Amino acid sequence: MAAAAAVPGPGPAEAAAPGEEAAGAGPQGPARLARLPLARVKALVKADPDVTLASQEAVFVLARATELFVETIAKDAYVYAQQGKRKTLQRKDLDNAIEAIDEFAFLE
Amino acid sequence: MAERPEDLNLPNAVITRIIKEALPDGVNISKEARSAISRAASVFVLYATSCANNFAMKGKRKTLNAGDVLSAMEEMEFQRFVAPLKESLEVYRREQKGKKEARKDKDKKADSEEQDKSREEDNDDDDERMEEEEQNDEEEVDN
Repeated sequence: MAAAAAVPGPGPAEAAAPGEEAAGAGPQGPARLARLPLARVKALVKADPDVTLASQEAVFVLARATELFVETIAKDAYVYAQQGKRKTLQRKDLDNAIEAIDEFAFLE
Repeated sequence: MAERPEDLNLPNAVITRIIKEALPDGVNISKEARSAISRAASVFVLYATSCANNFAMKGKRKTLNAGDVLSAMEEMEFQRFVAPLKESLEVYRREQKGKKEARKDKDKKADSEEQDKSREEDNDDDDERMEEEEQNDEEEVDN
């Protein structure tokens, strides 16, 4: 809701949605609906000059994949916080995870 | 209105919620760490898009489809995402199908009301409705 209001740009229809799905309705776990607003994901996709068109499904899968990515990187970074006996995830934990884990090499 | 890729970020509230749910209770996250994760997520989308687009081009298609994104995940060494993504996609497809059918029922009702009008008007309305449907498809994405 607040997040949607902050988005400058497309139309009211696109801004309206995220609150409903973020409300926690729908199945939990891997089969849940996307929480990230598809409009914003789509804007990122369109930023690529080589991309002509993306199907709705493609944008949806990208959104879900990004959510899985966020979960993954948060968990991987947390391992370093635990090593430092901290309960607060800090920037350096993230940096450590990115450096240590091959899949995150694209972030360097 | 031109946005640079660096400007395009994902809503903080949603990112924070996803992080919090991934971590054990009582664990916090600093603002800097959350911000860094949010930026990483944007980069992830851009990179995955580029990867997926390569698969689309290989298939001589101009439209990125779900399969291209899944192929990109494997390419990016996130194979473990593929199974849960396929599940989510199934749910999404069923949802979309439900929405389309609800819309068609609405349109059918509108149709029978309009049959009283002249034929010419009906044809015009058909065209308008098709455009509307396309627009609705666009809008549905963001629901």
